[in-house]
Amino acid sequence: MSGGAVPISDFQLVLSVLLILITGAITAALGLGLLKPLLWGTVRTFVQLGLIGYVLTYIFTINNLFLIIAIITVMCVIASSTAAGRTPDAGRHSVLLGFVSLWVSTFLVGAIVVGLIIAPEPWYSARIAIPIFGMILGNSMNGIALSLDRLFSEVGAKIPEVEALLSFGATPWEAVRDCVRVALRAGMTPAINSLMVVGLVSLPGMMTGQILGGADPHLAVRYQIVVMLMITAAVAIGCLLLVMMSYKKMFTGEDAIDPSLFGGVQAKKQAGN
Amino acid sequence: MKEVLKIELLRFAVRYHLGQTSRRLSVSSLLEDGTVLVIKGPSGSGKSTLLRILARLQSCDSGQVFFRDAGWHTFSPPVWRRKVHYVAQKPAVFSGTVAENLKKPYSLKGQKTLFQPDAAQAGMERLLLSREMMEQEARTLSGGEAARMALLRSVLLNPAVLLLDEPTAALDDRSRRAVHAYLAEWLAGETERGIVIVSHDGDLSAFPQVKQLETGLDGEVER
Repeated sequence: MSGGAVPISDFQLVLSVLLILITGAITAALGLGLLKPLLWGTVRTFVQLGLIGYVLTYIFTINNLFLIIAIITVMCVIASSTAAGRTPDAGRHSVLLGFVSLWVSTFLVGAIVVGLIIAPEPWYSARIAIPIFGMILGNSMNGIALSLDRLFSEVGAKIPEVEALLSFGATPWEAVRDCVRVALRAGMTPAINSLMVVGLVSLPGMMTGQILGGADPHLAVRYQIVVMLMITAAVAIGCLLLVMMSYKKMFTGEDAIDPSLFGGVQAKKQAGN
Repeated sequence: MKEVLKIELLRFAVRYHLGQTSRRLSVSSLLEDGTVLVIKGPSGSGKSTLLRILARLQSCDSGQVFFRDAGWHTFSPPVWRRKVHYVAQKPAVFSGTVAENLKKPYSLKGQKTLFQPDAAQAGMERLLLSREMMEQEARTLSGGEAARMALLRSVLLNPAVLLLDEPTAALDDRSRRAVHAYLAEWLAGETERGIVIVSHDGDLSAFPQVKQLETGLDGEVER
């Protein structure tokens, strides 16, 4: 560590509200109607992050393995309901499926990173584990949300093809195989793309944070590389699990497309009756 | 004459797409070996729904369908759909050439037979599709061409029963006659074959034996 972080005093923190005044002025002048959410968002930022500061201090002090697992599990619940909420078509069970895939992928990849690669003392050190698991979750959440949404829009748009394949005697898996492939690509592409441009177009938040915190840039870079690769792996595993569990739910026990899922499309087909 | 398909008291609901009302239908019928069963009835009377139920792509409230005396639930859905095979009104066109589209079903694991290029080529000619069309991008076909390609693809799979939803709706008179002749020949080609067809064609004289099933208010349908 060279120097450590430059502290931000209470007064300096209050100064940052100046930035909100700029945003507020733009909003008000152009009548964008964003003033209320902007103020509410600012308040929430102060309160939520202020609280999480205390929570993290508490968690780091206790440093209990089961508490860490419990916290990450709660984070998985929130992340999966957010991800599934973006595809209302997918139905209620998708929250559960999303949770299972996030939980498994996060713990699998997180355990490898914390236990094997970074390997702090003790290996479940909350100071390392919580931020690492948090980053995995945030990114896999976006990945699985994209995959799930794409799976449903893809199958929804290709019902005639899927039903033709079923008529040829395809199993549900064979009937949606191409759609599954498209959905997985959609979920994994952003993570892979960011591997391409990292450091050129974007300086990742974690690395920037470490540098601002006074860490040696070389060390920050090493951490960032581990983080990028772990995110890619977690997104791939999470998307795969979710899509493989979700496609089955699109079919009835009779291996036909569940009419309750793509109601609008089926109704349109009936119109040609 | 032996029956290929026996529809026994199939009850299902037909929802009109405009109004919210639904009507319940009950259908019984027999499809005999080498014959055609034509489903007639006004728009929204459940003709397509009936075909989809026969293919087990849609569920019904009660009733059974028998294929040569075996109830439909004694077959797994994929096996059933290979025997009692549905061809939708809107042809399913996959990306790739016409030839690739015709070969598509043979990429499935359960497909035991092999693609026969000669039979496909002969079928193309019978359905008035040119030889060069094989290499054409299938998505560039006209509606009528795509419909004939989809029909050919299904006939080549050699099902026992073809469930056809208005196969000639997008066709001119000449192609329509070609399709009828091709289907009639397919029907006579082997025993224990049959066709269930939704059609507004007045003239089905190409087929030796045609029986009608009304999904309207009377005929073989009870309300």
